[in-house]
Order: sequence, then structure tokens, then C-alpha cells
Amino acid sequence: MIAIYVCAGIAVYAAIRIIAERNTMRKLPFLNVVSFAVTGIIALLLPHPLTILAAAAYFVGSTLESNAIASTWSGGIKK
Amino acid sequence: MMDEYVLIACSVLVLIGMTAAILHRDPFDKLISLSLLIAGIFPFIVDRGYLDVAAATALIAPLSTIFILHVCRRETA
Repeated sequence: MIAIYVCAGIAVYAAIRIIAERNTMRKLPFLNVVSFAVTGIIALLLPHPLTILAAAAYFVGSTLESNAIASTWSGGIKK
Repeated sequence: MMDEYVLIACSVLVLIGMTAAILHRDPFDKLISLSLLIAGIFPFIVDRGYLDVAAATALIAPLSTIFILHVCRRETA
């Protein structure tokens, strides 16, 4: 039961770091940290075999979202 | 099962995301805050046992973010 508390603490700490940072580029690694911690919470929440599928789907989706924001913010290929 | 500490942590995540999405002016900061809000609601969906809804939402929510990103890039460029 201590593992889900650690994941929740990491999620809240990274969320506080997101709103404390002023630079947009420095917010994005902490967004990834929140995604990892929430994936851990989802995987540890229910003892059901389909939970790991939901956690994997959330992991793939949130990583895609963060990388889409980062690549659009950085501007892509300079011509 | 979700006990009160995890419930408070996820509620804090949702409230931080909501407040930051209201207060930020830059559209990329707004998108990051919206992603934080969506991350906060997922343990509540999974806690009730709607695992198929959670998997479908986890694959649909980044698509909406990517559509909003196209709008942001059109405005800035």
C-alpha cells in the first residue's frame, strides 16, 4: 500500500513544480513525471487483469501528448 | 480501492490543472495544464471499474490535444 502513496506524492510534487516553473520548456519533463506517476496509480489501484491494459493505454497516450506538445513548441524543422 | 490520501492527491492534481488552465495566457501552458487535468481524472475512472472507458479515453484525449496544437501553430506562425 506504500507504493501507491509514493506514486501519489510524486504526482503532486511534479504538479506543484509544473505551476512553479515560469519557462514552458522546463514544464514538459515534469509533465512526463506526472504521467508516469498516474500510470503507477492506475496500475496499483484495482486487482483486475484489465487494469494493466488501461495503464498501458494511458502511458502510450500521455507520452504521445507530451511529445506532440514539445515538438510543436520547439518548432520542428527550420527551413 | 482508493483511500482518502490517493483521493486527495488526485483531487489536488485536478484542481491545480484547472486553476493553471484558467490563469495562464500562453496557449502551450494552457495545453500543459489541460494535460495535467486529464491526468488527474483517470484514477477516478479506474476506481469505479470502468477500465474499457479508461482505455478508450486514454487513446482519444491525446487526439484532441493534437487537434488543438494545430490551431495553436496556425495562430503563432
